[in-house]
This record gives sequence, structure tokens and C-alpha cells, in this order.
Amino acid sequence: MTMTTEIILETQNIRKQFGALVAVDDVSIKVRKNSLHAIIGPNGAGKTTFFNLLSGNLEPTSGKVIYKGRDITHQPVHRTIHFGIGRSFQITNIFPNLTVFENIRLASQALGSDNFKFWQASSHFKKYEERAWHVIETVGLKERAQTLARTLPHGDQRKLELGMILAPDPEVLLLDEPTAGMASEQVPELIALIQGIQKQGNKTVMLVEHNMNVVMSVSDAITVMHQGMVLAEGTPAEIAANKEVQTAYLGGLYELNV
Amino acid sequence: MTQPTNSRLSAFFSSNRAALLTLLALILLPFIVGMMDGESPMMVFANESGNSKFAQGLAIEIFILALYALSFDLIFGITGMLSFGHSMFFGVGAYLTGISIKTFGLSLPATLGLVFIAAIVQAILFGLVLPRVKGITFALVTLGLGSVFHIVVMSSELGPYTGADVGLQGVIVPAFISPANERLRFYFIALTILILVYLLYKRFVDSPTGRVCVAIRENEGRARMLGYNTFYFKLAALTLSSLTAALAGFMHTLYQPIVSPNIANMGFTVTALLIILIGGVGTLSGALVGAVVYRLLDFGLRRYIGESASFISGAVYVLFVLFIPFGIVGTWKMKSLQIKQGWQRLQKLFG
Repeated sequence: MTMTTEIILETQNIRKQFGALVAVDDVSIKVRKNSLHAIIGPNGAGKTTFFNLLSGNLEPTSGKVIYKGRDITHQPVHRTIHFGIGRSFQITNIFPNLTVFENIRLASQALGSDNFKFWQASSHFKKYEERAWHVIETVGLKERAQTLARTLPHGDQRKLELGMILAPDPEVLLLDEPTAGMASEQVPELIALIQGIQKQGNKTVMLVEHNMNVVMSVSDAITVMHQGMVLAEGTPAEIAANKEVQTAYLGGLYELNV
Repeated sequence: MTQPTNSRLSAFFSSNRAALLTLLALILLPFIVGMMDGESPMMVFANESGNSKFAQGLAIEIFILALYALSFDLIFGITGMLSFGHSMFFGVGAYLTGISIKTFGLSLPATLGLVFIAAIVQAILFGLVLPRVKGITFALVTLGLGSVFHIVVMSSELGPYTGADVGLQGVIVPAFISPANERLRFYFIALTILILVYLLYKRFVDSPTGRVCVAIRENEGRARMLGYNTFYFKLAALTLSSLTAALAGFMHTLYQPIVSPNIANMGFTVTALLIILIGGVGTLSGALVGAVVYRLLDFGLRRYIGESASFISGAVYVLFVLFIPFGIVGTWKMKSLQIKQGWQRLQKLFG
């Protein structure tokens, strides 16, 4: 894997306040291109809020989001994917009454220029269908392509969620707990999938994850958040050795096995 | 070369058998009813009074209702926007047609052009509130807009144009489509318009644009996250819906040819809602089936029960929602899918 020092996505003193609660407090991070950057921290540390600020779902109270040198802080949420940033959700967020195929086909159609061709059948636009089939195979849902999304087992819904952000082929993937609620034996499969996509496709992946073994083994860089602030930053080895992190978060529960 | 064309044609016939048979029945309807009444087809062509002419009139009303219900299904059933101001979409078409012809003496094509322009303007008016309100708030804002329209047409200041609470009367319809003397022609024009609009709707829902509308109904936040600026898709659905409802209003005025202020009030929006609840929300064809059931039920009850008809029809609708919540077409589709899946399982069991 080629890892450059080029920064693809960064935040500058970003802050989000809900009333008296400061959910994200003055967070500045830099994400290197083609890296797998994990965000960890206890529940309520502000990880998902931070993702919402990056993806445009929320507007920050102050601070900036810079993508490839461009300030995208106040762009509407539907522009995010057009820049090349895809985002998945911790709580499965799909089109429940549409088939798996249609969910992913819609995701691949979005960036094309055929959205307002209301006089032609959608089956006329083969490129989106082909793209959808390709993604469905990548995430391993080929057998389930024609089932309704809501009837999928939870693990498959997580794969669908991943497929929906892969379809438009973004450069940066923001994955908010992609393995949340999955059976533990399914987790390695999905993580291997994400790693494969990142390495082969030269993607930058930001990952919120609770499974420490996963985080330590796959990440290039880790940011630890605690009470809305950055507690520590570094490589997996540095984080595991960090005394502050040990007490605040890992609490001695995590046995370092590197 | 003829072989593939033939097989494609036969495939088309076999997959659309029900629709084509219905179409054939509707084309023959005036003549069949006439024959049952002892009228020859020549007499039907001559628009002589009788059961056939009466049946044509009822059918024309159903076609207009079906158009109106289709337009409501597009924004509610397909795109998921519950508008309580939908009767305004119909009312603008109906009133503008009456006023253009009666007060300003415009020709029919000019009137239709004006109606379409007004339809687009009102879709944009509704669209202006779209980015700001969603769900129940949208329903309330549209209810407000619709009520304003009702108050305006009922106002005595506009009485010389709209007829206020008496309604707009004395619209002179061009002789060639006079509902009294050329009803058979009116019948076939209305049938053609309904079929064309229905096919257009089918295509719209199946198009990239319509697919996004369905996605908005399912999960608007996710549709935005996928990169769709949902505002434009909702505006597209609203515009098509507004054009269709205004066209239905245009035909309503030509057929009646009076405009009662009742078509501009909240009750007429509920009529559209009832029709698609009966037929099946979001199915399109449910709007057609629902319009037939709604109008015939209303007609039958009024004829045989009289005064208490609306009470009985209310009870029937409650029973409908309780026992057939997906409507006639929705339930039919679900059941036929389940039966098909059942057969497939049975075939698997026995290899």
C-alpha cells in the first residue's frame, strides 16, 4: 500500500454545541490520503456527532471542514457525495420497502446526469444497473438482490448499508460502526471486505469502531475522543501505550497483543 | 423478421391481458349498455337519450375523478407528501376554465394553455414551502393554502367571476364537445386522456426521476445523503400532479358545465384520499379502480337508500380501511405475490 503524507480531509477547531452541551469541542484532525483512520472513544464521546459534521448532516457551531484544500463546512448534505465523501450510518439507514438491488441502483444513479429523464424507463440506463450488480457482488448480497431490504437479516442490512456508499465510488468512506449489532462471527468478514476495498481501491477510510481488536489490527492512525475532545492521536502502538488513554478509556481492559 | 415481432406482440398481449380487456370493455361500453336497452349502435352514435347516454355520463365523471385521484396518488402514494390542499389543484383548473370561457370568451386551446400555466405557478407556490416543512406541517400548510383558495372563490367581491357560493354557471361549451349533444365524443376524448395520463404516470414512476420520488417516500434523509437534492424531485412530482389535477378540473367544467364551490373545499381533497385508500395507495391503478368503486357506491347508495347514503358510505369506508388497509389493488398484488411464492415453495418441495 502506498501511503502518502498528503492530507485529504481535515477539521480545524471544529465545535458543535447543543444548548449547554458541547458535543464536539475544538477538534482538529488531519486524515492522510489512502489511510485507514479510526476514531475511538467511550459512548457519548462525540464520535457520531463528529461524523455528522464531516458529512454535512450537521452544521458546526464554529470551525471548518477542509476537503482537498476546499472549505466544505457549510455545504448542504446532498453535496457531500458529489465531493467524493460517502457516509454510512450506525443505525441502519436504507430504503426498507425497496429491493436490495433498487437500494444500490439508486445509490449509483445519484451522481449521473440522468436523474430528470422522466420520459425514459430506469431500466434503459444500463450503466447504473451494471454498477449496482458489481457492488452487490462485492458486498456479497447477490443471492438476496431481489428481496426487500426490510426483510434482510441485520448482518445483511449492514452489508447493504456499505454497498450503498460504495456504489458512487467515493474517495473517502466515513463508516460509522459498520459492524454495529452484527454477530461476532460475521465481523471479521466485513472488516476484511472494508480493508480490501480500501487497499485495492486506494480509498481513504474513516472508521468509528468499538471492537478494539479490530481497530488495533487494521488502523493506520487512531484518534481517541473523550468528552467531545481529542484525547490522543497516533499509531495503534502509540495509542495502546498511552497512559492517558489507558486510564480514560481502555481502562486496563484491553490487553495489547502486538 | 416477422417471427420476433410476432412473439413480442403476443408477449405484450399476454402480459397486459387484463388491461387490454378492460380497455376493450370501455370502448364497447356505450354500445353494450345501449343494446341492453334496445338501442341500436346508430342510435348511440346519434347521442339519443337513454341508458347508454346516462352510463356514458357516469363513466365520464369516473374518468375525471380517476385523473384527479391519480394526481393525488403521485404526491401522496408515490412521493410521500400528504397535501390537504389538493382540491385547490383541481379547483384552479375548474374555475379558470369557467372564467376564461364565460367572462373572457377565450377559445378552448387558449383556456387549456392558461390552465396549464396556472397549474405550474401553483405547483411552484406549494413548492416554496417544501424545503421548510415536512410531514404533518406540510399537510397543515397545504390545508391553509387550500382554505385560502376556497375563501377566495366564495368571496362576494369575486362573485361576478366565480359565482361565489352559488357557483359558476352558464359556461357555454363549444358545440363539438357539448356534453349534451356530443356525449359519445366527450366520452372517448375523456377515456383517451385518462389512458394517456395513466401511461405517462406509469412511465414517470418507473423513470430515474420517479424512482427517486419513491426513495424520498421511503427515507428522505437517506435520499439526500445519496446525493439527491430532494427539493427538485418533490417539485417535479408536484408540478406533474398539479398539471393533471388542473386538466381534470378543466374537463369537469366542460362536462358539468357548472362549477360548485364544493370542489374547492377540504371535502374534495378527502375524496381523493378516499379513492386511493379504496384502490391502494401508491399503486396508480388503484386510483382508477378506487374512482370506479367510489362513484358507483355513491351513485347506488343515493339511488336506493337516499338521504342516509352518506352515512352508509362513511361506514363502508371505515370497514374498507379496517379490513383492506392496502386497498383493492394493493391487497390483490400482495396476495398474488404470496400465492406465486407458495407455488414456488410447493414446486421446490416436490422437486
